[in-house]
Amino acid sequence: MAGAQHHVSLRALSHVFRDGRRALPAGRQALTALADVTLDVAWGQFVSVIGPSGCGKSTLLRIVGGLLRPTSGEAKIDGAAPAAAQRRRDIGLVAQDPALLPWRSVLGNVRLPLEIDRAARDRPAPSPEELLELTGLAEFRSYYPHQLSGGMQQRVAIARALAFDPSLLLMDEPFGALDEISRASMRYELLRIWQTAPSGRKTVMFVTHSIPEAIALSDRVVVLSPRPGSVRAAIDVELPRPRTQEMERGAPFLDYADQLRNLLKEVPA
Amino acid sequence: MSQTLRSAAAYVLPPALALIAAFAFWEFWVQWRDIAIIVVPPPSAVWERFVEDPEFFWREGGWTLYEATLGLLMGSAFAIALAVVMAHSRLAERALFPLAIVIKVTPIVAVAPVLVIMFGFGTTPKIVVAALLSFFPMLVNAMTGFRDVNPGALEFMRSLRASPWQLFWKLRAPSALPYLFAALKVTYPLALIGAVVAEWFTGDRGLGLVIFVANSNLDTPTLFAAIGVLALTGVSLNVILSVAERRILFWHQTTRTVQ
Repeated sequence: MAGAQHHVSLRALSHVFRDGRRALPAGRQALTALADVTLDVAWGQFVSVIGPSGCGKSTLLRIVGGLLRPTSGEAKIDGAAPAAAQRRRDIGLVAQDPALLPWRSVLGNVRLPLEIDRAARDRPAPSPEELLELTGLAEFRSYYPHQLSGGMQQRVAIARALAFDPSLLLMDEPFGALDEISRASMRYELLRIWQTAPSGRKTVMFVTHSIPEAIALSDRVVVLSPRPGSVRAAIDVELPRPRTQEMERGAPFLDYADQLRNLLKEVPA
Repeated sequence: MSQTLRSAAAYVLPPALALIAAFAFWEFWVQWRDIAIIVVPPPSAVWERFVEDPEFFWREGGWTLYEATLGLLMGSAFAIALAVVMAHSRLAERALFPLAIVIKVTPIVAVAPVLVIMFGFGTTPKIVVAALLSFFPMLVNAMTGFRDVNPGALEFMRSLRASPWQLFWKLRAPSALPYLFAALKVTYPLALIGAVVAEWFTGDRGLGLVIFVANSNLDTPTLFAAIGVLALTGVSLNVILSVAERRILFWHQTTRTVQ
């Protein structure tokens, strides 16, 4: 299916927020969020981006998602601009706030994308009902968001992001607002969904603060430096799949965790 | 079922008892101090006057309610339309909001005689006054509502490349509903006030006229009965709006916490 060599390809990406209109911390000067990020993501790979707060992880993801234009550098998805992939409905988005529409049922929320783009209905994609089945929400289809836990709401957001059957899934700290226990189980739930999605493995870019989360999920973990963010290291996680919660206590997992912790601790020269 | 009955009783009983106590005290005070009926009528006399010809009060009250409702609908429609424009364009907001404030700060009671000259003695001036009174709170609430959109949902809709039309109907309008209901609870009574005041000046019918005439005749039982019917109308509207709000806004937190 791959046209370009890499699914996502970022070249010398920089982003500077300038004064006024964008929410900036005190002071009027420009704020460099990203500096010279170069990164390739292979097709079907699960890549986590980890880094300290304010290092531009979300900015990076918003650029890849076509929601933000980089100040300089280039972002390509399958060899074309992110906006083109967005037009093709080839990007799915899950943010920390599931941002479900509270007046719509679970099914109604998952249907929303297909209501916005009626033309997309004719394309081969799993139906909203099938997506609810996949995400374990079938019994909750007529529930409303306020009747669901945070973890369940995030499942709805994931199902909604899969409505157009995109080949690229962008997730911005999707479990960041969950309590530790549901957070740990949502990891493996996400992996199950990722591995059983009917149209094959999607490429995932997953932004997180959590070291165990990054290791448990990813084929590769990209570590960003503090602001302005740039790639400090990229570690391949060679744990076998399917991953299990038990692995988190094993020596290889803990080694990766140590490695990442040290990379995040280092003070930039 | 008995549970809901009991909780309903818990809400209705205390204010009902308080009301009865207040009426009892009023009756007792008037009788005991032998206060003249043209100063304060006892509740019993007001009630007698009402049951003598309840249809009269319902009919006149119906006119007032009709005028208030039409005015409310017109004022709200205009306010919401303007709010849509202003929520989408800062320039329109800067140009039009000061005018809206002029409407707000002008005492409508002072304008009523002018409106009679402009619109004659029919139903129109009452509707206009009711519309003017209900306009501003609806405008402010609708504007806030259309803008108070979950930023995450907005970003998601944008990532779907939703059209402005879809953005409005699928996101902004439902987000504004709680604000519109809050506004209605304020503006419906205001519209009622507007209709009554307009009837004082240009009354050919309605409770405002009843009050005006009864006042000139020192017919306090009729006066108080008309006021009572107005109060009852206001309370009923509030109950109806609250029930509708809970049904329609079941997903909204304010209606959920008040259960």
